[in-house]
Amino acid sequence: MSSGRPRLSFRVLTDTLAAIRLALGRRDTRAVATVVAVAYLIAYLWATGDLSYRPDVTARLLVVDDPVGRLFARVGPASFGAVATLDTSVFRLLVSPINLVIGAVLAGLVGINLALSYLAVRRPSACGIGTGSGILASIPALLSGTVCCGPVVLLAVGVQASAALLTAFTWLLPVGVLLLLASLGYIAAKIDTGPLPEPHTTAAE
Amino acid sequence: MVPTDRRTLLAALGSGAVALAGCLAGRASPGPFGGDDEETAESGSRGPKPPTVDRSLPAAYEIDELLETSRSGGPSPDGIPAVENPRFTPATDSPDALDDDDPVFGVEIDGEAKAYPQSILVWHEIVNDVVGGRPVSVTYCPLTGTAQGFHRGETTFGVSGQLINSNLVMFDRGTESWWPQILATAISGEDAGSHLEEFQLIWTTWARWRSTHPDTVVLSEETGFARNYGRDPYGGYNPPQGYYENDSFLFGPLTEDDRLHPKAVVIGMRSEHGAVAVGKDRLREERLLAFELGGVDHLAAYDDALDTGYVYRIDDSDAPPASWEGGRVAIDGVDYEPADLPYERAIAFDAMWFAWYGYYPMTDLYE
Repeated sequence: MSSGRPRLSFRVLTDTLAAIRLALGRRDTRAVATVVAVAYLIAYLWATGDLSYRPDVTARLLVVDDPVGRLFARVGPASFGAVATLDTSVFRLLVSPINLVIGAVLAGLVGINLALSYLAVRRPSACGIGTGSGILASIPALLSGTVCCGPVVLLAVGVQASAALLTAFTWLLPVGVLLLLASLGYIAAKIDTGPLPEPHTTAAE
Repeated sequence: MVPTDRRTLLAALGSGAVALAGCLAGRASPGPFGGDDEETAESGSRGPKPPTVDRSLPAAYEIDELLETSRSGGPSPDGIPAVENPRFTPATDSPDALDDDDPVFGVEIDGEAKAYPQSILVWHEIVNDVVGGRPVSVTYCPLTGTAQGFHRGETTFGVSGQLINSNLVMFDRGTESWWPQILATAISGEDAGSHLEEFQLIWTTWARWRSTHPDTVVLSEETGFARNYGRDPYGGYNPPQGYYENDSFLFGPLTEDDRLHPKAVVIGMRSEHGAVAVGKDRLREERLLAFELGGVDHLAAYDDALDTGYVYRIDDSDAPPASWEGGRVAIDGVDYEPADLPYERAIAFDAMWFAWYGYYPMTDLYE
């Protein structure tokens, strides 16, 4: 921009990065982001069927015949092939690197969103947003955990599949990512990303 | 400038989502593999065709009607991967998760017996194998509760990802023609209307199959794929639960009938004489059930060793009556195993009632 005024998109990006730095720079928000992200990743893997409780099988690691070929094989709208089965005698993890990356990205976005929401609750003076904005924005991403077990979800709610429903399942992941990014950008634009005291000092204020 | 930039940003995010969704949506399905492959499918074989047989089967729908009702079940072609290099273990070294009362699909060809656990096939639906020296495909559709065997010749079958009447639509890799499993009939490609050569699969339990076929081998969980074997995404058979016992559908049937519970198991048989369904519970009670189909006498016989039923065609209208004698069938003073009556045994298989009726609304029913 010749005017010297940064483009809005660039400003949103820098604000978002600043908000992420803020969320990860404080001990309390970092803890919230980490706990939420880990919990979400576990829930995501559970919902997609990659992680399950299997005390009935013996511990072993079984690698598929063609791991590279299976890596990018699609097994659902947003679900990719597993290259190994890891049994621990308690849990079974189907090791799908792409699913893990998708889950980790979603988990990271949800974690940072909720960390900033937490900040909004704990430090409302720093934010011009409603308390639940980040949480509400995270719901689509939570739903996106159903992307590769759509028919099972339909079974659970007892409805017949239609083309529209199946299409909706296809859109869950991208819409979830989009809304999480939009939510993050929105919060980042509102939040004061200046230095804030660590939580142990807030009581004295 | 600012509104324009905001729109630009939103548009960029939106188009990113559209692109991602497009990537995730899989291929559409006017032909076997969508528009790009339509010409190939129409032009016919790129590889060997599966063997077909000259037979007549009842058909309630035109091929075009069937194609119109096909719908994506979610996965793309081969998204549910067939097992191409099955490995087997002796009955004494069966998979961890295979319990005695879990369902298996048993086959015996030329003295070679094999068992295919439902818990593995629910993840693959097709196993391309060789049994008794013959190349075969063992197929299973979870949504219709049907396990059927087909001779495949030099080709193999895969899972198209399409469903008709909730039923698995297979494709052969030689011509990429579609073959709905229950119909065993091509509905696309240059051989549309031709019928696959079938063989009898037995839906039974692991303990029953093992006790009647001690030398059997059983499909290993080392399929070449990583799946959560032992966990059924639709419910379970041991005990019956989830989709297999409730009255809901994932995909609506072609047509409905309420004389039986939609998921009630019937033993279905179709031939040039028509289609018939015998309630499995009724056959368990009566053991033998004589009926007429298309003017020809038939006899259904229960096999309590395997908890299955067979259907025989009795061409001789003066054939002596059969009676149940402690697990064997007495005919004219001679005892026979239920699987070996002196009549022509037709291919018959277990099916959920809604699926059988959906394809064969003209069927006779012995409920």
